[in-house]
Amino acid sequence: MLVTWRYRPRKTFIQSFDPRAWLIFFICFFGSALMFWDVRFLVVFFGAALTLVLTSGVTWAESKRAWTFIGMFVLIYTTLTFLTGRGGMEVYQTEQLLARLEAPFNIFGWTPALDITLQRVFFAMAQLMRVWSIASLTILIPYTLNPALYGVTFRGLGMSDKIAYAMDLTMRFIPSFGRDFQLTLDAQRARGYEIENLKGGLVAQVRKMIPLIVPVTIHAMISSEDIIDAMDLRAFGVGPRTWLDELHYTRRDYVLIVFGVLMLVMAASLSLIGVGRFWVPAV
Amino acid sequence: MDRKMLSVLGALVGVLIIFLLVAYVGPMVNESLNLGETAGLRFLFVGIGLLIAFGIYWATKSSPAWEVGTREVVYMSIGAALYAVLSYLFNGTVFAVPSLSQVALRPAVAIPMFFGYTFGPAVGFFTGAVGNMFGDAITGFGLSPQWSIGNGLIGMISGMAMLFSDKKKSMDIVMYISGAIAILGLALYLAFKDTPNMVFFDPAQNIFGDAPISLFAGISGLIGFVLVLAVRFGFAKNTEIAAAVLWGALGNFIGLGFAAISDIWINGFPPQAALVGEFLPSAGPNLIFAAILVPALVAAYASFRRQSGR
Repeated sequence: MLVTWRYRPRKTFIQSFDPRAWLIFFICFFGSALMFWDVRFLVVFFGAALTLVLTSGVTWAESKRAWTFIGMFVLIYTTLTFLTGRGGMEVYQTEQLLARLEAPFNIFGWTPALDITLQRVFFAMAQLMRVWSIASLTILIPYTLNPALYGVTFRGLGMSDKIAYAMDLTMRFIPSFGRDFQLTLDAQRARGYEIENLKGGLVAQVRKMIPLIVPVTIHAMISSEDIIDAMDLRAFGVGPRTWLDELHYTRRDYVLIVFGVLMLVMAASLSLIGVGRFWVPAV
Repeated sequence: MDRKMLSVLGALVGVLIIFLLVAYVGPMVNESLNLGETAGLRFLFVGIGLLIAFGIYWATKSSPAWEVGTREVVYMSIGAALYAVLSYLFNGTVFAVPSLSQVALRPAVAIPMFFGYTFGPAVGFFTGAVGNMFGDAITGFGLSPQWSIGNGLIGMISGMAMLFSDKKKSMDIVMYISGAIAILGLALYLAFKDTPNMVFFDPAQNIFGDAPISLFAGISGLIGFVLVLAVRFGFAKNTEIAAAVLWGALGNFIGLGFAAISDIWINGFPPQAALVGEFLPSAGPNLIFAAILVPALVAAYASFRRQSGR
């Protein structure tokens, strides 16, 4: 019943670490990258993320959907903030005009024009690097984390047995429910259901979601009965749980964790003393 | 057990104190310190949200509603996974469902309400918080952990129905509180009509959360509440449906209210921008979705239980 994420064993840098160590590093990386708006700092994170992606052994063929989606999202988002100049107002107040592009025509007296300012250029670059660094490492997680180790990894990160197991199941359910939605959607489409063409007012539109949402939810609960029985038969939750696979930190894992924590502490200290805010070169 | 809880509480209070120190003592060290764009403040509000959740748990911990057995563990994960997948599908990138008068169709919120109400506050909290987190992660966002906690509160409060033995009476109290919040929201909207709707994005129209809030989005909280009332009295005999919708409505107001109010400090929004521009256009439409979808889910689940005898 369960479909897995596209994990496979690879002899790569990321997968040479204990998954707990990798997740701790990921969280530190995430937190550190968020502390900065300065392109000079962000380029380090961007470079690190790019290197990790390129050495991850995840091929284009198996991950192209994820990359195209996130790539389009990041590009459209940053291009639009760049064009409109909106979004950056939180980090800069004044703008220095570099060039003004005017369209050689006008529409009803309105000439489309684009102000290229130093701040917009650097804000767009910073935004692109921030989002891309974080998003690309997030995408790598399902490809590089062994689904068989989800539960013991979360347990090893300090969660209780039950919560660790619930997290494990959540990650395993996501792809199968995604598929269930697709199947239900196809089945309803065969009956003339059109999600792309919802008509009527808001209430009518929401009501038309019922044939999609209710079957998937109820089906998930019906099929969960088997899982509950299986878990009960194995005395889930009666005593402390043991896991089939055990995780042991090695020296390189400790090195990675220490490196990640130091990075986070440094990033936090730098941002507290005001280093790493939005920056533009003096013109 | 008590010792374990005390240590959890201690850790949470510790996190809170550290962040308060950073927020209040920090500026004395460095005058230009502004936490607005640092990640720290987000986690402070995660801490506060967890403290609220923990406080409610602490006060009612003797109730069987908090028990987590095998069944609850599995329902937690189903709820969270469904919420993640649904938020992913309806975030505007997979299905391009057009928005009506600035209200985008996001039916996913019915999931934490339904799971919270049906299986208890612990399942509700996990469904909302973890589901929102994974939903953001697979979409590629994931920069606002305080909204995950807000979503967790939606599920948890929906599940608090189980903590009260007198269902009718608790339902009425919940109705009055939600009604008061809906009217307060309306008053805020009328006072700050020109606030931009910050949750409405429409790249095709060049709108990035800066179009003035539409009348419909502004009064959607009240419309939603009227729908909730219609369900409550329309299904007066079926207290399950009425209670699910009412508690879900309160959870929605409080959970999203928490997240929006925390944005006053996190993103430096003026209070009216956070409340009118963020809270109303997200909480109001959610109520409309909830009033329609939660009864459908509750009814479908009841008939499943009748059939299977569980």
